[in-house]
Amino acid sequence: MITLTHFLIVSACIFCIGLYAVLAKRNAIMILVGIELMINAAILNFVAFGKYDKLHYSGQVFALFAIVLAAAAVAVGLAIILNVYRHYKTINPDNITDLRD
Amino acid sequence: MSGLFNISPIPASILVVGLPFVAFLIQALLGKKSISGIFSLAAIILSTLISGLFVFTDIWQKAPVSYTVDWFTIGNKTVTIGILLNNLTVLMQFIVCIIALPVHIYSKAYMKGDPGIHRYWMYLSLFCFAMLGLTVSKNLFMLYIFWELVGFASYLLIGFWFTKNTATEANKKAFLVNRIGDLGFLIGLSIIFSLFGTWDLLELFGDAGIFAQGIDKNTGLITAAGICFFIGAMAKSAQFPLHVWLPDAMEGPTAVSSLIHAATMVAAGVFLVSSIFPLFNDLVLLLIAIIGSITALSAAYFALCQYDIKKVLAFSTVSQLGYMMVAVGIGAWDAAIFHLATHAFFKCLLFLCAGAVIHEMAHHKEHSGQDFDPQDLRNMGGLRKYMPKTFVLMGMASMALAGFPLTSGYLSKDAIVISAFEWATHQGGLFIILPITLVFVSLLTAFYIGRLMFKAFFGTLRVPKNEQQHVDLHEAPRQMLIPMFFLGICCFFFVFSFNPFSYHQAGILEGFSVQYSFAEVHSLHLAIPTLLTLGTVLVWLVGWNWYVKNRYPLRSDSAFLIWGERQLGLNELYKKAFVDSTMSLTRFSYWWDRHIVDGTVNGAAYVARSISRAIDWIDRYIVDGLVNTIAGTTYYIGHLLRWVQNGRIQNYLGFAFTIILIGIVYLIFR
Amino acid sequence: MGLLSLLIFLPLAATFLILLLPRSLQSSFKYIALFFTVLQLLLSGYMYTQFDGSATGINQVSGYRFVEQLPWIHLDIGSLGRLEIDYFIGVDGVSLPLLVLSSLVMLMAVGSSWNIQKSPKGYFALLMLLNMAVMGIFAALDFFLFYIFYEVMLFPLYFLIGIWGGANREYAAIKFFIYTLFGSVFMLLVIVGLYFSVINPDTGAHTFNMLHMMNPNNYVEGSFFAYLDNSHTIWGIPARMIGFIVLFVAFAIKVPIVPLHTWLPDAHVEAPTPISIVLAGILLKIGGYGIIRVCMSIFPDATADANWWLGLIGVVSILYGALNALAQKDLKRMIAYSSVSHMGFVLLGLASLTAEGVSGALFQMISHGFLSAALFFLVGVLYDRVHDRYIYNFRGLAGLMPQYTGYVAIAFFASLGLPGFSAFIGEAFVIIGSFNAESVGTGIPRWMAIAGSVGILLSAAYFLWTLQRMYFGQTRLKGGEEWASKLKDLSLREKSILFPALALALVLGIMPSWVFDKMNTSVLNLVSLITAQL
Repeated sequence: MITLTHFLIVSACIFCIGLYAVLAKRNAIMILVGIELMINAAILNFVAFGKYDKLHYSGQVFALFAIVLAAAAVAVGLAIILNVYRHYKTINPDNITDLRD
Repeated sequence: MSGLFNISPIPASILVVGLPFVAFLIQALLGKKSISGIFSLAAIILSTLISGLFVFTDIWQKAPVSYTVDWFTIGNKTVTIGILLNNLTVLMQFIVCIIALPVHIYSKAYMKGDPGIHRYWMYLSLFCFAMLGLTVSKNLFMLYIFWELVGFASYLLIGFWFTKNTATEANKKAFLVNRIGDLGFLIGLSIIFSLFGTWDLLELFGDAGIFAQGIDKNTGLITAAGICFFIGAMAKSAQFPLHVWLPDAMEGPTAVSSLIHAATMVAAGVFLVSSIFPLFNDLVLLLIAIIGSITALSAAYFALCQYDIKKVLAFSTVSQLGYMMVAVGIGAWDAAIFHLATHAFFKCLLFLCAGAVIHEMAHHKEHSGQDFDPQDLRNMGGLRKYMPKTFVLMGMASMALAGFPLTSGYLSKDAIVISAFEWATHQGGLFIILPITLVFVSLLTAFYIGRLMFKAFFGTLRVPKNEQQHVDLHEAPRQMLIPMFFLGICCFFFVFSFNPFSYHQAGILEGFSVQYSFAEVHSLHLAIPTLLTLGTVLVWLVGWNWYVKNRYPLRSDSAFLIWGERQLGLNELYKKAFVDSTMSLTRFSYWWDRHIVDGTVNGAAYVARSISRAIDWIDRYIVDGLVNTIAGTTYYIGHLLRWVQNGRIQNYLGFAFTIILIGIVYLIFR
Repeated sequence: MGLLSLLIFLPLAATFLILLLPRSLQSSFKYIALFFTVLQLLLSGYMYTQFDGSATGINQVSGYRFVEQLPWIHLDIGSLGRLEIDYFIGVDGVSLPLLVLSSLVMLMAVGSSWNIQKSPKGYFALLMLLNMAVMGIFAALDFFLFYIFYEVMLFPLYFLIGIWGGANREYAAIKFFIYTLFGSVFMLLVIVGLYFSVINPDTGAHTFNMLHMMNPNNYVEGSFFAYLDNSHTIWGIPARMIGFIVLFVAFAIKVPIVPLHTWLPDAHVEAPTPISIVLAGILLKIGGYGIIRVCMSIFPDATADANWWLGLIGVVSILYGALNALAQKDLKRMIAYSSVSHMGFVLLGLASLTAEGVSGALFQMISHGFLSAALFFLVGVLYDRVHDRYIYNFRGLAGLMPQYTGYVAIAFFASLGLPGFSAFIGEAFVIIGSFNAESVGTGIPRWMAIAGSVGILLSAAYFLWTLQRMYFGQTRLKGGEEWASKLKDLSLREKSILFPALALALVLGIMPSWVFDKMNTSVLNLVSLITAQL
């Protein structure tokens, strides 16, 4: 029997993998991938908790909404990365330190 | 016209004093433009004439005259100056004039050609002014002023040849030793002032004065005053132990020595103690007599052993001054003044003769091209062949000094010695030592003056002659001989008394009516002169044997002679005891001043600076340090947090998650 | 404006004139200074002739001449009463001779400043300011005014020594300034104390008037310096004695006394010649004058108690100064120490509290005024020529500079107290007066007089020794031929400065009545004021 707990554990694992990718990767595309993983972990949670809302299925609705948003975000993110690359000739975020004091 | 020749004694005596002063001023203004000394000479001639004609003859044996004017008022006391003319002062003034005149004439020849001669006349006139003023001063304060001024003139004249180190040493010494006496005088003045409130000689010691009315003289203060005045007289009259300056003072020109350091200034001490005689009580008088006899004896001993012709005469002067002091000490101050008068003439003559001898010896030294001391008796000898007139004159003066009959010295010396015997008989006991000392000194006197004569004038000249075997010695010039002749005449008895053998008929002694405290002993009046004359002849025979026949019995290195020549080491002793100790004291006091007194001041400054440095440290590191620490800490913390802002997006995210994680953990475990 | 004010403020006019003129006219400054000092001398001479000797001075306004009294600062200060400071000046027998002396010494100082090259504008302006201050000190009768002049005097002196002085001038200037200030700040405390203790009987207000301070009736009962039944003490010392001691120390530093004298040799040695002349000729007299005018007149009771100590200090100064002078190798330093010794006589004479002693002390101040000025000028002559004054570097100057040596000899003999010169009268009467003190019963023992007279002997020793070492003997100089060519005899200017000073010493030595006649009444008044307290 697969319980809610199992979903949550999988979701936490995916979130952590995504977090790791965001914090440790030296490639902006990989960071974007990490972000997608974290969003998907959240979507998974929505769907898993959606079982308690049999009336409106608001979990599923939010999941769909989030998937659409994530796709938009990836599109925008990739566009930023492309522009960053054009500007800095690199997509390693360590080398882009213009925000430093 | 007749009014002009009838000046009353007071203005006349003012003229006598003032004329040399005028000459001094003229000479000082003219400087090198006048080297003939004509002003000084004219002044002293006029002074002598006025002193003799209008002052001495008008006052001598007549009523004393005095004149006083107010000088200044200090507080409510008025200090006066004035002229006192009585037998003593007019006699003294006349003696000074009559000695100064021949010395002036003599100097004209003796000092001829000296580059500083204009100064010489200036100083000489200054001295005459001061000395003449001293003699007629009516009041002790005025007397003190002239007393110091004669010392000043003497200082200038001793150091006349100021390039000579010995001369400048000698004049410094003379002035300083005299200053000791002056301090005594000043303290004496203070005592008199605080006791009686006046310094007027007439008010104090006159016939109707304070002392004549009979006051208790045996108080401590009056004794002290007497001793103080006597200290003044001791320094001026070169009494032991303050006599050391006089032999050194012979560094001055010989004419000066004859006037100042033989005849007049050194006698001022005797004059002073005679003027204020009523002040002395028995204790002080005894002290004066003892000091006088010690002086007479020690100086005679020193005179025996000197080789410098002027030093022999200088010690002889000291010795004779000791005689005079003894006379004052036994109360016979008239005898002291008598001896002062006779001594002035023959001692002045002795010096002038010695000057002539030295003059010729120096001349010889210059011409023969040899180096020897022209004043050393050991270089002389046989001079009688070359300078017969000088020899005769000096011989006469020597006989007067030795007290040979028919001379003036015979009278005055007898007066002192016989009075001393009478005094001792009256007092009894050990006092007899004093007159016996005097007799002994008298024999020594005869011996040393004989030695001088024999060594200088007999035998043969001891310095080698020059190449041509020619001795360049001749008689002194006439300008020097004339004053010497005049003084030579004054060495004989008839100037002072018509009876050559009894001093009682001497005019000078008759001029003073001194009440002796002792009775006359008639037998002495025959015994003493005989004894002295025989003794004199005897010692001269011995001297003749020793020095002329060359049967000299003593070794030249005997301790007796060496210590005599070195004056028993008194000069060295004084130098060690007083000069050196004072100098070490001054060095110590300067060290003290520099390091202790000024050191304290600088130390205070140092302490203040150190304290301010400490305060500065505290201010810089504690007070300001606190402020800086706070600021610094803030800055450091800010610096620490700064690296968070490294611009790395991942780091920011990492921090954000870490903080959230910490927050979650906190929420979980709180 | 009265004559006295004119005398005081004439130099101030000179200061302003000099400051206003452009630098291009700087060669005229010395003539301006000369003109004003000559004017001052004439004025003070006129005042001297107009002054009658019957003025009793000291503690009564009627005893003063040329009195000017104007209200100056009158303020109501609430509960503390009314502040009353007057412009109050006048002259009596004590201050008149000192005023004449000051104007004469100032003239000498201007004369000897003739060759000042360094910034003559500042120099003469400061010198004239100093001139005004010393005149003011001798004339002021209001304590506040006195204090102002006293402090104003310090300021130009500091710069005159510190800028125009010798190698070590900063040290000397600071030492001089701090030393004097040390004395005067405590003086200010006593002035304030006196102010609150004394009231003006006419207005009932507290006052700085010195004459009111001398009158016992004007003291507020129970005040700190109250005259009668005063139970105030500090460390067990009565309040009035404390006041006396503080004021005495303030003025004694100026005199100077041993052991507060060490500023003097340094200041004298480093100061330029004209300033040495002013220092020795006038400044030291301010100390003596202050002791008479302030310490002894306002605190006669304390004076009567303390005069034994005053006499002792005087004797110590005489002997100590003389011994130190004997040890000196620098001519100027020797003369500086001789000043210490000679000023000791002033203190001894004042302490004697006899008319003879006090008159002698005042006379000694006058006499020392121009004699020491002449002595320092004579050192300056030598220093001007070869810039050396070390005694052993010279020998036989008499052969080289006969006139100079003549003046030196006269100045030396005058200073060592040769009769006929003024110093003799001063010293002799100090000794006589202090000897007489025991008979009068003022508490000075006779040994002090005798010890003081030893100072006369020592002064003869150091002067004669110097004369022998430097001036007599064969000529031998450290600088050899070069020096010999530089050492020219006195110029006419130098002679015309020296001659009046030495001539005056001689004239006053022969005619001391010229000074005594003016001061006798005042001195007797002063002595009776104090001896009444014995």
